[in-house]
Amino acid sequence: MSKRTPSLSRRRFLGGAALGATALSFRPRRASAQAKPTITYWNGLTGADGKIMDELIDQFTRETGIRMEQQRIVWADLYAKLQVAVPADEGPDLALIHTVEVPHFASDGILEPMVDSVTSAKGFKAEDYLPSTWQGGMYQGKRYAVALDVPQHLLYVNVKVLKEAGLAGPDGKPKIPTTRDEVLARAKQITKGDTFGFAIGTTNPGRYTWGFHNLLWQNGANVYAADLKKSGLSEPAAIEVAEFWGAIQNQHKIAPPANANCRDAFIAGKLGLWIAGSWNFTGLRDAKVEFVAAPVPRMFKQAVVWTMPHQFTFPKKKAVDAAKRDAAWAHVRWMSDHVAEWTLKAGQVSALRKPHSDSRITGDPVLRTLLGQAASWQSGQATPKWVAAENITRPIIENVYIGQRPAAAAMGDLAKQINALPD
Amino acid sequence: MKPRRALRRGAFTPYLFLAPGLVLFALFRVYPLLEGLWLSFTNARLGRAQQTFVGAANYLRLLDDTRFHVSLVNTAYYTIASTVPILAVPLVLAVALNRGVALKTFLRGAFFFPFTLSVVTVGLTWLWLLDPVIGPSTYYLRAAGVPVRSWLADPGTAMWAIIVTTVWWVTGYYLVIYLAGLQDIPRELYEAAAIDGAGGWRSFWSITMPLLRPVFLFVLVTHVIGSFQIFGQVFVLTNGGPGDATRTVVQHLYETAFQNFFHFGAASAMAWVLFVIILVFSLLQFRLLRGHTQY
Amino acid sequence: MSRTGRSWRAASLTALMVALAIVWLLPAVWVLVTSLKLTENIVRVPPEWIPWPATIEHYGEVLFSSSRTARIGRAFFNSIVVSLGSVALVVLTSAMAAYPLARMRFRGRNLVFGLIVGSLMIPNAVILVPQYVLVQRLGWLSTYQGLIVPEAAMTFAFGVFLLRQFFLTIPSELEDAARIDGADPWQIFTRIVLPLSQPVLGALAIFAFRSAWNDFLWPLIAVNKPDMFPLPVALALLRGAYAAESYGPIMAGAVLSALPLLIVFLVANRRIVEGVRVSALKG
Repeated sequence: MSKRTPSLSRRRFLGGAALGATALSFRPRRASAQAKPTITYWNGLTGADGKIMDELIDQFTRETGIRMEQQRIVWADLYAKLQVAVPADEGPDLALIHTVEVPHFASDGILEPMVDSVTSAKGFKAEDYLPSTWQGGMYQGKRYAVALDVPQHLLYVNVKVLKEAGLAGPDGKPKIPTTRDEVLARAKQITKGDTFGFAIGTTNPGRYTWGFHNLLWQNGANVYAADLKKSGLSEPAAIEVAEFWGAIQNQHKIAPPANANCRDAFIAGKLGLWIAGSWNFTGLRDAKVEFVAAPVPRMFKQAVVWTMPHQFTFPKKKAVDAAKRDAAWAHVRWMSDHVAEWTLKAGQVSALRKPHSDSRITGDPVLRTLLGQAASWQSGQATPKWVAAENITRPIIENVYIGQRPAAAAMGDLAKQINALPD
Repeated sequence: MKPRRALRRGAFTPYLFLAPGLVLFALFRVYPLLEGLWLSFTNARLGRAQQTFVGAANYLRLLDDTRFHVSLVNTAYYTIASTVPILAVPLVLAVALNRGVALKTFLRGAFFFPFTLSVVTVGLTWLWLLDPVIGPSTYYLRAAGVPVRSWLADPGTAMWAIIVTTVWWVTGYYLVIYLAGLQDIPRELYEAAAIDGAGGWRSFWSITMPLLRPVFLFVLVTHVIGSFQIFGQVFVLTNGGPGDATRTVVQHLYETAFQNFFHFGAASAMAWVLFVIILVFSLLQFRLLRGHTQY
Repeated sequence: MSRTGRSWRAASLTALMVALAIVWLLPAVWVLVTSLKLTENIVRVPPEWIPWPATIEHYGEVLFSSSRTARIGRAFFNSIVVSLGSVALVVLTSAMAAYPLARMRFRGRNLVFGLIVGSLMIPNAVILVPQYVLVQRLGWLSTYQGLIVPEAAMTFAFGVFLLRQFFLTIPSELEDAARIDGADPWQIFTRIVLPLSQPVLGALAIFAFRSAWNDFLWPLIAVNKPDMFPLPVALALLRGAYAAESYGPIMAGAVLSALPLLIVFLVANRRIVEGVRVSALKG
């Protein structure tokens, strides 16, 4: 509990009482008997996800009386705004951000650390979460975030395209590849005319770093070496991945051009096998595309799946209002308790383990596939330079993708640039 | 332009006229600009409470920043390559519309409509149009037997695709400006020239262009200044790609300030270097086109 | 040239221009057509130009969405207030500043003009943060004036440059005549110069309106209350969170957003092209 709160003794007492009550039970309690505070909440869940978040927030307000003033801003702009607003003390009470943003925001003093005693008093425990998501909220030994859900990669299989390429069984089910050789072979069979066999990425596959990272991790490589100081991209394992990255369009010729809109191509029936984020599948259902969701195939050594969990954080304030902080905690608690609803409607699997055995969730084929990948989940490295490194990776892997630069030289150059990033 | 005698009675008159605008300008432009200049000599970062003076370090770092150099070259290339299309197309349309055409309102509205769209809408629309898999342009070209190219993913054609998009977008506005200027040219001059036997082309060069000169100069200078600062449509269409082939200075600046590093001091230094370059270009233009215009 | 020859030429020029205009409009037509298509029909190869079956569900979603934070109707209103306010402020201040710069001699004239035009050469991105701190100190965050005044300031230099060039083209005889008749500078400005400048004032109004209407970056950081968001920020909510675009609502939002600008254009355009002719006044 922050020691900087103004000494309004009634609030402190009630706040302390609420803490005590919460410690005894894990059900959310009203923070005080006074008028409920309104808290500000920023997140990047625009589009269809946002509407579902609105419904859940309305339900939260009905049940607890705490009102939330949401600002939804596209992720990239959200982070810029957070960086401008928090130092000017204009930041929100609660913010939902991506795991990979935690280290640099924490190191810049934008986020407030969560005291362990408070976190566990609110009912958040390590054993309730999957390890990668629980760890994702930490930076340099301190906790700054609590995970909500796990957007991740998936292999989307276009049933119509595969059928037309003769890749469906007698029962009409498409033959789903699980290894690199299978992917390449089937993609080559599909690629014909204006139809492509295989792509990684929503749009602009050439510079889809999230896919590139996924492949790196499958080969045991990573952006930084284990000490998080020097770049690991000039290692042979990384170069091997980069060579594959350049080969799918230029050599195997199974992938669309670097700036193609893979998602639209898949919807229009011009793409057969598509590795992309789980957030796409609700849109595919809206567009009435016939598809099957399969686990990400093992393209290299291990079947690792890229994830980027959403994390709840408390941006720093000059003076923390205890009632608002409690209200924010109450929301995080409530969302975590109701995360099964979020999963079912928005299609994002929870970071908490418990809902994974919910029969409504395991009954949905796509969600079941997502859950099945849990053992292979991996996320970005906890260094403040991760995002900057990712930004300078994009043009370079794009050059490799279009065949303008050989993989080894490109990776060497990229490693050099990453090493030169200022602290 | 005949020199005006200073209005003795109201020696303050010019300043009174200027006052409201200058207050607005001084407070909301000059002051932030100067603060930006100051910040360019510090290691200011968004999120960092204090900044320390670092002298010319930010400027010196630009000498080593190869991506900054690439972006300068790209921006210069765009500026020069786009000047003729963006200046000439609306002028031709304006002259045609100013002659005897019917359906003026529809035509003006049609050419102007793209200008009402936001940069994101324009970008998304042209991304779809030029999409190498599902885009209509790809589809129709393929049907016509033309080999398919990914215009925006090819370093050789990406910038031209951006120029075409920009011409489509802004022609309508320059058209309006040219029309406003053409309105001021008295009809009698054209009629007199016609009586003397001058054809359309001749009267264009000897009547229209000279009288349109201040307007043309304005369009030219504004276009150049705007081109050096191009950002929006490039960001949406190619995000500076493929690789860094269409990366512009303002994109580099924007990412330095608001995305990767939040290095506000470094970004301010870039802005002032860009300012000096544009200033030099603009002064050259003013000199070159001074000619017979009143200054 | 004979009369029939001239009218034949005019007709063929018109036909050519109309054909060109139709081709020019095709991308905009796609925006409109997409906004009327059912979601499952939007991404199709070969491209379909006729939205059949047509639907207005995307417009409904944009305007009456269940999402409280979208509040497009309110954002529309905010944009109108901010844009009109910004236009009024910038046209007034630019015209008043451009007139002495074109017509009067005074100390510092070239310096002031140079400074103003010079300020056009600095990218907006770099002004953003110092301007944010200034506006915050004034207590203007999330207010109308916090949007109107900076937007006007952004267009001021452009306005001064444009108007000065146009004022220079006005023959000075009219002003001389009025001065001999005893008019003071303000009267000359308001009764002669401004009426003669309706075309260019209209052009400036269009530009200023559009600049304020479409600005995204400044309102993004300067507004913290969702109720006060102008249209571009509110419309950005329609974009998918991870480039998973839902074209229907996005294009419907784009059409709705373009309508006021089109109206402003049509209104201001009458001034521009049917503006008072110089020759008529001369006589």
